[in-house]
Formats: sequence, C-alpha cells, structure tokens
Amino acid sequence: MDRYLRQITLPQVGNAGQEKLLKSKVLVIGAGGLGCAVLPYLVAAGIGEVGIVDGDRIEESNLHRQVLYASDKVGNSKAKESAAILQQNNPTIKIQVFEEYLTQKNVAEIISGYDLIIDATDNFFVRYTINDTCVALDKPFIYGSIYQFQGQVSVFNYKGGPTYRDIFPEKDQKVPNCEEAGVMGTTVGLIGMIQANEAIKILLEIGEVLSGKLLLYDLLRNEQQVFEFSKVAAPKKPEIEPDFELLSAEEVLQSQKVLLDVREFGEEPEIKHGKHVQIPLSKLDQDWESLKSEQSILVFCQSGIRARRAAKLLFEKGFQNLSLMTGGAKDLEYLQNHEENLS
Amino acid sequence: MIQVKYFGMIAEATSKEGEEVSVSGKPFSEVLSEISSKYNLGDLSYQVAVNKKLVSNPADLQLNEGDEIAFLPPFSGG
Repeated sequence: MDRYLRQITLPQVGNAGQEKLLKSKVLVIGAGGLGCAVLPYLVAAGIGEVGIVDGDRIEESNLHRQVLYASDKVGNSKAKESAAILQQNNPTIKIQVFEEYLTQKNVAEIISGYDLIIDATDNFFVRYTINDTCVALDKPFIYGSIYQFQGQVSVFNYKGGPTYRDIFPEKDQKVPNCEEAGVMGTTVGLIGMIQANEAIKILLEIGEVLSGKLLLYDLLRNEQQVFEFSKVAAPKKPEIEPDFELLSAEEVLQSQKVLLDVREFGEEPEIKHGKHVQIPLSKLDQDWESLKSEQSILVFCQSGIRARRAAKLLFEKGFQNLSLMTGGAKDLEYLQNHEENLS
Repeated sequence: MIQVKYFGMIAEATSKEGEEVSVSGKPFSEVLSEISSKYNLGDLSYQVAVNKKLVSNPADLQLNEGDEIAFLPPFSGG
C-alpha cells in the first residue's frame, strides 16, 4: 500500500523497518499537550498498536495546546476523543483506549502489553510509578516534560540504561508549590514531537537514542543542550507509595468526606462551606491531631502536589481513608462554583 | 571564574539565566552551598551538571577555571 511509501523510501526505514513499526505496540500515557503531539505522528507512521491512557476530560483551557480536540468536544473523555480522531486518520492500525488515570493498581497490567512506553503526563508523582514499573517489567520509556518555554526529553531504562531515578532519585523532594507555571502550545508540541521521534528511532533501531542523556531544549533561545548521566552506583530501592483514591470534583460533591485544604491561608479561590478544614501543609506536622484518623478525608491544594505530600504525611500518622482530587485548580473552581451543594 | 547556568524554576529563583562565579580553589560543594544560600534554593529540587555531565556526588569533585556548571530542576508540565 502507498500509505507509508515515502517513509519506506528512506534507506533507514525500508520495507523491513515498516514491518517493525507495524509489529510494534506503543503506550502513550497522557493525552494532553504532549500526547496530542506524540500521538498523531505515531499513528500516521503505522505503529501497529497504540494505547492511550488518560482519565481526564477536555476543558476549554486545554484547547490552545491540546490540538486534537475540537471546541464542541469540551467535557468529553480525552482518551476516547483522541482515539476516535486518530482512528480516522489511520484506520489500519489498532488503538486501545484506557479511560482511566494511571495508578499503582492498574499500572503493571496496562504497561505489560506494550513494547515501549511514552510518558506524556503532567504529573511529577506518576512519573515515578511509570519509572519503577518500567524497570520491573523491563520496558524502555521516553520521558518528556516542560517548564514554561523549556523542555526536557530523555529515554530511560533503554537496554538496561539509567532511569529517571538516576537523575532525580527522590520523589519526596521539596517541590516549590502548586502554582501553574503557564505553557505555550508550541512548547509541548515540539517536546512531544521529539518524544515521537525517539520512539520511531528506538523501534527502527536507527540513530542515537537519548539514553543516559537528558536533552534540555530552551525554545526562547533555540538552544539545545545534552547532559550526560549514568546509573548511580547504589540505586535506591523503589519505595512503596500509598495509593490514594482519586476523585473528580463532581464525585467530591456527592461524597460525605471532610475537605482538608492544605493551602496557605489567603490562597484563592477561597472555599468556605461544607465540611471544610484548612491546615496549611507547612503546619500539618504540628496540627494534624485536630483531625481524626477514622474520618474519611479528601485532601486538596491548588494543583495537587502539596495535597499528595499532606496525604502521605497523614498516611504515616495512621490515617487510612484518604483521597485526592484529580484535577487541581480546575477542580477547585468547580467546587467553588458549586459550594452551595457541599454537604 | 566558572560559568553557572540556571534552568526552569531555578532561573526564576535566581532571576537570571546564568552568571560568572569566582571559585578560587574552593571545593565544589562549597560553591554549591554558597549559590544555594545566596538565592535561597534550599526548598527547590535540582541536580547539578559540570561540563554537561550530571554529578551524583559533589564531594568528589574539584572545579577548574572555565568549567561550566548547570542547575537542572525536574520539570512536570505536559
């Protein structure tokens, strides 16, 4: 067929290379900004089976960078919506939809069916789950992430090579705070495209893979720098992370949970009603005893980073029934707009 | 003198993308802690590279004139 003719013409691809692509199974975790750049090119290139994991729904504020989604699809599942569009683009390949967030519980089962994993998430903590599972199941994974106009790309656990933990060993580092840093569509687009390009190189076994190398791309200056790293002599044993239940803002409204706000006092938007308690994360270590460990508690902050640290702290204090919100700031807005419904 | 480069939120904390720093025989770990306390980087997470190689144990390393060090924080946007 003619579909792949122009890439088969490349001496590095050929019919044998195309066969490799058609036999490959690639999992893309996250169908947001990076995912919307990675996915169309993998699908168009004829990767035989593409999996898409995302439990999130399309929001209007996603549209400027998550370019697979049309305006009238706001509210729909990202995983389903992207799969529907991509299947139209290339009906000859198989697309598998996982309309769920990646968690400690489902990660091994989802990842085990694929040859290559692409981390297109926007979540610092999920990255460690992906990393540790890829190490355990011996799968390479392609990391991409951005901060404003800068992006990082690397390939981890490639043929026994170093992993994310060899650069950033600790998950419990102090992360600045939950403010959203802002992003241009072109930044995630370019970084996602580099991830897709690494994927194709790995599957075709051509070129030099970014294994043991962290690419840092500064898009304001058009500067790319590659930093080398190697396996740290004594890798830390992956820690067991408590698996907190994740709830959407709608589910929170319907629940009877105590809402624990761990933001600093005065942070916007203010949530006042319902079973709402505010103990800033910075005070939680001293003030946690005002909470009862048998209570069912939903911990939240601005984007979820402080909330996760707070939940971990409470977990270590013996609290069992802890949950987090999926969407951070946008969930907060939803809660604020529906405050009258809080029980 | 050595060249120091800051990336991501470290550049935000230092309000600059880089600078020249005089090291005059100081141990690497001392240079790092001086920069960290000057810009209050204690709360931020980052790794340091010297001449484009990530350093896992700064105590083992001595800086030379003209070296380039980079402060690399984890990114999490996507």
